[in-house]
Amino acid sequence: MTWDDDGNNPMIHFSGVTKDYDNQTALRDITFSVEKGEMIFVTGPSGSGKTTLLKLIYFAEKPDQGTISIAGWETGQLKESSIPFLRRNIGIVFQDFRLLQNKNVFENVAMALRIRGTSEKEIKTRVYETLKAVNLRHKADVFPRRLSGGEQQRVVISRAIVAEPTVLLADEPTGNLDPDTAEGVMRTFKEINAKGTTVLIATHNRELFRNSGRRVIRLDMGNLVAEDRAQ
Amino acid sequence: MTYAFILAFQSLIREKWINLLSVFTIASGLLIISLALLTVYNIDAATKNLPERFSMILYLDNDIQKEKVDAAVGILKKNHAVLSVRYIPKEEALKELKATLKNSSYVFEGLDENPLPDAIEVKLKKDSVGQETVRKFAGEAMKIPGVKEVDYAEKFLSTLNYLRVGMKTIGLILIASLGAGIVFVCYSTVKILFYRRNEEIETFKLLGATKAFIRTPFLVEGALIGTSGGVVSLLGIFAFYYIVLLRLSVSMPIFKAILFPSDLFLVLPFVGTFLGVTGAAFALGRLKY
Repeated sequence: MTWDDDGNNPMIHFSGVTKDYDNQTALRDITFSVEKGEMIFVTGPSGSGKTTLLKLIYFAEKPDQGTISIAGWETGQLKESSIPFLRRNIGIVFQDFRLLQNKNVFENVAMALRIRGTSEKEIKTRVYETLKAVNLRHKADVFPRRLSGGEQQRVVISRAIVAEPTVLLADEPTGNLDPDTAEGVMRTFKEINAKGTTVLIATHNRELFRNSGRRVIRLDMGNLVAEDRAQ
Repeated sequence: MTYAFILAFQSLIREKWINLLSVFTIASGLLIISLALLTVYNIDAATKNLPERFSMILYLDNDIQKEKVDAAVGILKKNHAVLSVRYIPKEEALKELKATLKNSSYVFEGLDENPLPDAIEVKLKKDSVGQETVRKFAGEAMKIPGVKEVDYAEKFLSTLNYLRVGMKTIGLILIASLGAGIVFVCYSTVKILFYRRNEEIETFKLLGATKAFIRTPFLVEGALIGTSGGVVSLLGIFAFYYIVLLRLSVSMPIFKAILFPSDLFLVLPFVGTFLGVTGAAFALGRLKY
């Protein structure tokens, strides 16, 4: 299973996507595209469908209607066995972190590489490099419960970017962070995007994209209500 | 693969109590199986040599001619089931009987003529000493001219047969049911461990882990639990032998006769491994993830 990276297709494309949960519509007739190397924001109040939209991108959910293609792969036609290999091209910063509490920072970040079968030598090099980039090199042996919220967030970001994914998804990445830490996290995302990674950030915090000039998709009660550039 | 072992070892240590409980449950099961095997093995060994002592007596017609006797002996010798044939003239039979009953010689007082008939003693090959084959052979022997009656220890044969078949059946039932029990213990343990690590597994999946990456540590864990159970049961059976049997044999010499096939028990850890992996595979096969 290879990631189609020929640049002809949009990196992410939603076409008339609807998703229901127990007769409650989470997303209704959503159509949008994200180009390769773009950094966009998905915003809206809580319950507007941001997380569902991300879940559809990382194959945790399937659409009830419409089609989604990620780097040319149409998710509805994917075999179950292909999903792990496609997910390896997507880095995810989860809203609830999903850190492994019984593993230290190094092991948490290394897990993304171990799953890919990377050699131990390369794991060591890349994990320490990534931790250094988010200023957590000195916390490599610490367990997640001993870290602050901001530090945990940076571990999650390290894990998401260590394998150099093509797409980075972040779900409320600054939700529990103070403004300074949030600014640091956003700076990291911009740096990753500058290296060519397509970044999609779901947030209800308008301050994150104000004056950024980035494209913003606005959701409300599962509907795409606006698509514009942040001024 | 190496990382699967690391994850399995970490889980073994983290969930030590549930794993220890499983190991000792498996060890108990395998120990009972071993004791059953030891019993069956000893009964089998004890009864194995009994057929060598088995013989049939073919009583011949009164005043049978020598040619007829020779012909009967010839027919018997040609039979593939026969090991040896011995003609016993009635004079020799009486002599043997008198020698046997020398302390009760009064039995023969007043006996004017030999009441015993001529006979042929037939010993069958070890493999042919079975209830059915002997019955068939006896039928065939009765058709030989000059043979009046065929005598053999039918009850002995059926008892021997029942004993061997019975012990083997009980042993097999015990092995099958305890084996299934051990597989179930491994199945339940792996299932519990899987559910306890559900969140971790979900994260693995979202990071791109394949089913093989997720499953392998559980299979390794099942194998390690099974092997450990096998090793503990091996220690148990050897302890039973050295502590119980050898000590008892000092005061009760009959225990010296018990055979201990130590080579046979060396496979216990491998049996444990097999049952552990089987249980884990069943558990993983039934889990939806």
